[in-house]
Amino acid sequence: MLPKSPRWRDERKAGVGRRDVLAGLAATTLVWPTSSMGAGEAVSIGLNPLFLDSDIQLLALLQTYLAERLGRPVQLLKRRTYQEITALLLSGQLDAAWICDDPYVQHEDQLALLAVPLYRHEPLYQTYVIVNEGSKAQSFDEVRGTVHAFSDPDSTSGFLVTRYLLALRHTTPAQFFRTSFFTYGHRNVVRAVATGLAESGSMDGYVWDVMRAREPELIDKTRVVYTSEKLGFPPIVGLKSASDPALAKAISDAFIDMPTHPIGRQILAILDLDGFTKADPDLYRGTLEKWLLVEAQA
Amino acid sequence: MSVRAHIAYWPLAWKVPLLAAGLLIGAAFIISQIVLNRLEADQENNLRLLTSAYLDGLSAAVLPSAIRADVWEAFDALDRARDHYAGLKVRFAIVALPNGKVLAASDPAEFPVQSVVPPDVDRRFPTEDGLTIDTASGRAWLARSLREESYSVGRILAEIDISELLRVRRQVLLTLVAVNAGLALGFAAIGSLALRRMLKPLSVLSSYMERVRAGRADPIPESKRQGISREFDLIFDRFNAMARALNEREELASRLANQDKYAVLGKLASGMAHEVNNPLGGLFNAVDTLRRHGDDRQAREATLNLLERGLTHIRKVVRSTLVTYRREAAERSLRPVDIDDLRLLVEPEALRKRVQFDWVNDLHDAVPVAVDGVRQVILNLLINACAATPAEGTVHLRARATERALIVEVGDQGPGLPDDLAKYLVGLADEAPRVGGGLGLWIVRRLVADQDGEIRLTQESGLSTLIRVTWPFYPDVSRLDSTQNVVRVEAIHAE
Repeated sequence: MLPKSPRWRDERKAGVGRRDVLAGLAATTLVWPTSSMGAGEAVSIGLNPLFLDSDIQLLALLQTYLAERLGRPVQLLKRRTYQEITALLLSGQLDAAWICDDPYVQHEDQLALLAVPLYRHEPLYQTYVIVNEGSKAQSFDEVRGTVHAFSDPDSTSGFLVTRYLLALRHTTPAQFFRTSFFTYGHRNVVRAVATGLAESGSMDGYVWDVMRAREPELIDKTRVVYTSEKLGFPPIVGLKSASDPALAKAISDAFIDMPTHPIGRQILAILDLDGFTKADPDLYRGTLEKWLLVEAQA
Repeated sequence: MSVRAHIAYWPLAWKVPLLAAGLLIGAAFIISQIVLNRLEADQENNLRLLTSAYLDGLSAAVLPSAIRADVWEAFDALDRARDHYAGLKVRFAIVALPNGKVLAASDPAEFPVQSVVPPDVDRRFPTEDGLTIDTASGRAWLARSLREESYSVGRILAEIDISELLRVRRQVLLTLVAVNAGLALGFAAIGSLALRRMLKPLSVLSSYMERVRAGRADPIPESKRQGISREFDLIFDRFNAMARALNEREELASRLANQDKYAVLGKLASGMAHEVNNPLGGLFNAVDTLRRHGDDRQAREATLNLLERGLTHIRKVVRSTLVTYRREAAERSLRPVDIDDLRLLVEPEALRKRVQFDWVNDLHDAVPVAVDGVRQVILNLLINACAATPAEGTVHLRARATERALIVEVGDQGPGLPDDLAKYLVGLADEAPRVGGGLGLWIVRRLVADQDGEIRLTQESGLSTLIRVTWPFYPDVSRLDSTQNVVRVEAIHAE
């Protein structure tokens, strides 16, 4: 999930406004029956709460862009947990989904990589363990005994990496932390730690970095005490068994071509991403190893 | 004077506005109390409604998270509710689990997750669901149980800052006090001005009454009667009628006084004529003797001596009369001889009535009193005493000076002063004496009063009436004409 911020709004104004988006949505709906794809159903794309929590404008921009590129109406679905999106995708109710790398490696055999975001020109991101600015902890081991905020049980950065670190220490979150809870959003982890609800938290380093520029007053109340190695960025995936390979390719192309389109560039600016790329499953070996270790220990 | 009497003595122009202001302040106080009580009840009612709505919303949002013991959801609900209830200043809100531990609080730094709600905080909240208000600290505490199918899954505890409500209450109180004080002062001022205006004829009447006391009964002119009320118009009419009656009486009294003066003068002239006439026979005899025996030196000398004594006597009589009735500037001091002179004037009347004098003049030096007035008063008293005393009786005169006054007593052995005359003389009655009943005394009273003197009637063995007159000395003889001296009149009337 990405926060609302003045810059965010400025970008909206500078690029495509609300009126343009609504006009685009209307146009998409109108032109769809005569589109080249010719299919009658709307394209369903799931979005996990990693990026999109409540920003209707970003959702509308993405919908407008994808509908225009795919030539069909687009339905964007958002759920509270990663698990719900993954379940919808695996059950064939979604044509594609932007999911976390953890569920991807868990279901790699069923899922096809359609596109991977480029953050700082590479398809990688990191996990951060953060503490409240008033905390004395300087390393991951010093957050022992704290109240800890996780993001999501299916989040790599928001749960898996920390569990992995604890597995390496032959311990578990219940033993290592005084208590822990899930916030179901990386921004919520920042809020929990910044307000003192939690003393430490595990979260997506990309979200923390973007928030540092956009919500410094909130981020300034937190401090990073652990940075993981770089892992494959949460991808856009579809089912390998998809009935319409042309649609899967069109979705993939739409994401990868985003920098060439005005609305696409607008979306990338909001997400603070450089673009999307094709990627090999090997990109997620690091994530897979961590998951396997944690599962083995469990 | 007691406070009550003192207040009763205050002028109406103060009392009525003060009374009006007092009543207004009393009414304002009662109204203010009613308004404040109503405001307090309304505020409390509104607070209850608002807090109830807050708790309804919050408990609905928090209940699922309390059931699941979901820290983040509970916190998020508390955090979101913070901005959703404008007008309700929530200082902190806690979702407490049935074990008394904090699931989440709006201020996690003060109430950390999994910590026990501090007992000193917990005891501020009502044990049951409800609201506790403490105006002293400006805080209110709410508690609401979270229940699922009759099972308690936790409680919401919230502390509300009600200082804004109290500030509004104070502001209303101050506004009420300021407005009411302003109204009270304003009405008092307007009332005072209105009453002064209404009572203005009274001050006119008072000033004209004062003139009457000073001896001038002027009617109130038409110019002073413009725009007065009907009641005052009637009072002014009656006052003017009274003033006219007083003036007529004064004029009559003045005429009678003159008549009395002429009567006294007649008596004096008769006495003087007798005094002059007595030696005249002897003088003519002396002239005849001179004509016939003028050559005889011895006879001539004896005759001339006789002539001289006779003429000297006449001269004394004439001089005394002149001194008494001259219309020159008032003498500034009274010599002993000025009193003794009077004996010459009343002696003929005394001789005529065969009355003796017991004459004691203890004055040794001149004293600072008005000679004319004093002599006229003593002369009148002596004439009256001679008239009242039967044949072979004695009229007393005693004159002496103290450090500050001249005291002259005139007594007689007559039948005594009639009661009304006695009262009039000493100032106990203002009614003028009947005609013929002592106009001389009317003059006495006027003259003594003019000189700030006093008259007393007393009794002494062998005398039926003893009138004592005291004239205070002028502090400075050079200011004899001044009338600023203290008047002291007291009277003792002998039965």
